[in-house]
Amino acid sequence: MSFRTSITIIASPRPRVGKTLLARLVTDFHRHEGRAVAAFDLNGGEGTLAQFLPMQASVAAIDEIRGQMALFDSLVANDDAAKVVDLGHQAFEPFFALAEQIGFAEEAHARGIAPAVLFMLTPDRTSIEAYRNLRRRFPQVTLAPVHNDMFGPTQHRDKYALGKGETVIRLPILAPALRKFVETPPFSFTDDGMGTAGGLPPEVQSELEHWLRRMYLEFRELDLRILLADLQSSIRLGS
Amino acid sequence: MARPAVILVGADKGGVGKTTVARTLLDYFGAHQTPTRAFDTEAPRGTLKRFHPEITEVVDVTAVPDQMKIFDTLGSAAARVTVIDVRAGLLSPTLQALADIGFLESAKKGQITFAVFHILGPSIASLDEIKEAARFVGDASYFLVKNFINNTSFFDWDPATYNSYFKQIKNAEEIVIPKLNEMACEQVEVASVPYVSFVANKNGKGDAANYSFVLRGYVRHWLGQVWGEYDRVKLIDLVSPSLENNVRQVAG
Repeated sequence: MSFRTSITIIASPRPRVGKTLLARLVTDFHRHEGRAVAAFDLNGGEGTLAQFLPMQASVAAIDEIRGQMALFDSLVANDDAAKVVDLGHQAFEPFFALAEQIGFAEEAHARGIAPAVLFMLTPDRTSIEAYRNLRRRFPQVTLAPVHNDMFGPTQHRDKYALGKGETVIRLPILAPALRKFVETPPFSFTDDGMGTAGGLPPEVQSELEHWLRRMYLEFRELDLRILLADLQSSIRLGS
Repeated sequence: MARPAVILVGADKGGVGKTTVARTLLDYFGAHQTPTRAFDTEAPRGTLKRFHPEITEVVDVTAVPDQMKIFDTLGSAAARVTVIDVRAGLLSPTLQALADIGFLESAKKGQITFAVFHILGPSIASLDEIKEAARFVGDASYFLVKNFINNTSFFDWDPATYNSYFKQIKNAEEIVIPKLNEMACEQVEVASVPYVSFVANKNGKGDAANYSFVLRGYVRHWLGQVWGEYDRVKLIDLVSPSLENNVRQVAG
């Protein structure tokens, strides 16, 4: 199992920490690698992700059972598509409570799918508690902490009790010149001309490609970590 | 020789979840590898048989030939446990019939383990049924089941009144069946398979099915809560007493 046959949930109990940007990046990374991908926007009906990626993303809701079935049955479907969930802060606890109740992680593993949570680190108590709870409730799920550089250089590793060898994915700051393009929907990091009418100015394109390479390198390293964890788990079970 | 166990599942009115409880019991004993058979008294077609066709027979428990089929074979049947899903409104008449044939006397003498699962209705009239049953139950295990699967509210009941009925039966214990999402409930009904098969995503033939993962998850969680209640009242110990386990160990 690896990032390739994966479900990636971008999560934080706090709003406006960069979840949707990261969800867009992960979705476009899969497309860049030539994989089918389906993204689910659980941001309370705002539809932001779907605005940027109308062909890949759909709005989802889990407040009633049909929405729960539409989302979770799709997440575990054996359709060779990577799945990405942009989990809005209001849906954070309902999503994980439901996932725990219905045995989501176990079902995913039984189907050869690797669930991973990319958790946006922020120094508040709510987020720290939420991270600890996820670690306790979902030991089979890869929990990858993410630091958004827009919150400064400090990653708060001690607050989150992250081990020395534990990798924190970095989301670098987007320069203002890049942001005005990237934050205007629709925008894809993968489409020719980056999905903008007339394409990006060359200097902007070059800077954005450099920024993207850093992010894609982070995702490839995450992929390797998931593969390694899976291999170690297989060896332990076999011994 | 192992003592056979008989479990009556009954209610004073229909629609309170008798067959649902009987189904969870059959799954529970199956999961504990306790050989079980069932008799479905909703003749002619039955309601329990649809879900557990291999181990269920439709009978008329008030008819002598069917009484013989059930009770004359208790000692010889491969099944350790016999579950009888009693037609709605017939719990007391069935208990009377069992008294008439000497079954209750055999239970009192310890020759048979006997338990009653009385599924309560939401209205206060259900409590009168407890008084009726109390005449027959004696030392048998008696479980008062509040079935919230369909979000029933037992709001008519003043706790003091309820307790006064509850205390009329010596070995009475309360069991709570929690709510199950309506769509999950409905899909299991449509699938016509045991709860454990639905959870395992298997159809009636044991082949892979395509039930919703979410609904299977809800059912698994709910069934776990129900079985937790059965564990709490030590149901397996009741039908397979540890003394017999020790005897088997010594004999082995």
